[in-house]
Amino acid sequence: MNEAQVDGEGAVLAKVAKLLREVIGEEWATDVEITRETSFNEDLELESIEFVALAEKLQNEFGARVDFAGWLANQELEQIIRLRVGEVVDFITRCLSSSDKA
Amino acid sequence: MSRFLFVVPPLVGHLNPTIAVARELSRRGHEVAWAGHADICGPRLPPGSTLFSLGDASRNEFFRPALERSQRVRGLESLQFLWESLLVPLARATRPRITEIIATYAPDVLVVDQQALGGALAARASGLPWATFATTSAGVTDPLAALPKVKSWVDAQLAELEREAGLTRAAAPGAADLSPRCAIIFSTDALVGPLEQFPPHFHFVGPSISDRPDATPFPFEQLAPAQRRVLISLGTVSPDRAGDFYATCVSALAGGPWQAIVVAPDGRIPNPPANFIVRARVPQLALLPHCHAVICHAGHNTTVEALAHGLPLVVAPIRDDQPVIAEQVVRAQCGVRVKFGRLTPAALREALVRVLDEPSFAQAAARVRASFEAAGGATTAAKHLEGLAA
Repeated sequence: MNEAQVDGEGAVLAKVAKLLREVIGEEWATDVEITRETSFNEDLELESIEFVALAEKLQNEFGARVDFAGWLANQELEQIIRLRVGEVVDFITRCLSSSDKA
Repeated sequence: MSRFLFVVPPLVGHLNPTIAVARELSRRGHEVAWAGHADICGPRLPPGSTLFSLGDASRNEFFRPALERSQRVRGLESLQFLWESLLVPLARATRPRITEIIATYAPDVLVVDQQALGGALAARASGLPWATFATTSAGVTDPLAALPKVKSWVDAQLAELEREAGLTRAAAPGAADLSPRCAIIFSTDALVGPLEQFPPHFHFVGPSISDRPDATPFPFEQLAPAQRRVLISLGTVSPDRAGDFYATCVSALAGGPWQAIVVAPDGRIPNPPANFIVRARVPQLALLPHCHAVICHAGHNTTVEALAHGLPLVVAPIRDDQPVIAEQVVRAQCGVRVKFGRLTPAALREALVRVLDEPSFAQAAARVRASFEAAGGATTAAKHLEGLAA
């Protein structure tokens, strides 16, 4: 059984939330609920350098199949400001399922 | 003898580094003047300085609303806000007057703060040699490298200003705000990393803080001789954004084995604990030699001033360049970063205990101080500016 089959959407959300907590690296973050609706800007106050750190962690977690850095590079400023966790989960889920079919 | 004109935005933190450099240029026989907003620069420049007024910042229709809204924006939205609501309107409002001042004063060299975009545009149109002062090193370290579309957005703002000024595009993309001949950055490789990553005309001189006169009164006799003393400051721009920060400081530090000297607007800390001194303003450079650690927002000036005194830091960045500077502090191992927006008393106290009790933080801060001293500060900056006049 490969990893993509194990990783349902809920499992991806849990992993993204865990990595986000690591990036933010604060004690409060271990308790804060991170859902699909959580905003990177408004709720998490993620800075540009923290996006870079998150991209590295996602790469380590999911491997080359998930090119979050490449995806991020194509986002406009307004899109990044409005970005919610659910969009990143969907992107990862798409990457995993397409590499699964390949 | 040459004549130097400093162009500054209406932000106190960007005025301060020019003062020591101007003083050094004067000492070397040159003539200096400033173009800046009278209400910001007038009270802060040394007596006898020449100031060409860009009007009062407080009377600019965009300035006060911008400062007020800046208290609420966060993350990357603060970048969008900074450009759309402050830097671009400021450039439009000041460029014509700066052009007039250049014609009147006829300087040999212009020295333009990186955020005074009207000055950069006027300098380029004038054809005179000009230098950029990167008051914060985040202006040259490319924190947006991973977000190329965000960089393009910033560049589009600059391109529009260039078009309005009738200038052709700067040779390098994203470099419209930087002199192609000389950029002075008030930091060193101890914070920004290896200098080989930068072009040769980027000069890292360390902080420019010597000789800044400051007559702000302070009750030095109230400093507790047997205690470790901690300065807590959110700098000159951010104190209104403080929210619960001061309350968190009180909960975290009241009754602890230290004395807290807090810079806070009047009334923000009613009935301070016995181990607190609360003042609306402090003579920061005179006070730092009496301190053992600094808690701040990772504003560039406060951070480098603390490190110039070899003091370890707890940094709680709020916005703009502060997350970048905070990251530099963490990488240089001279401080601990906490999250401003969600800070708890326990986290702040733990961070402070670490930087005070673990000697590695003060040792790392001492290494940064040594790199600052070797870089030469205002004197080195003045030499580079003289080179442009030659």
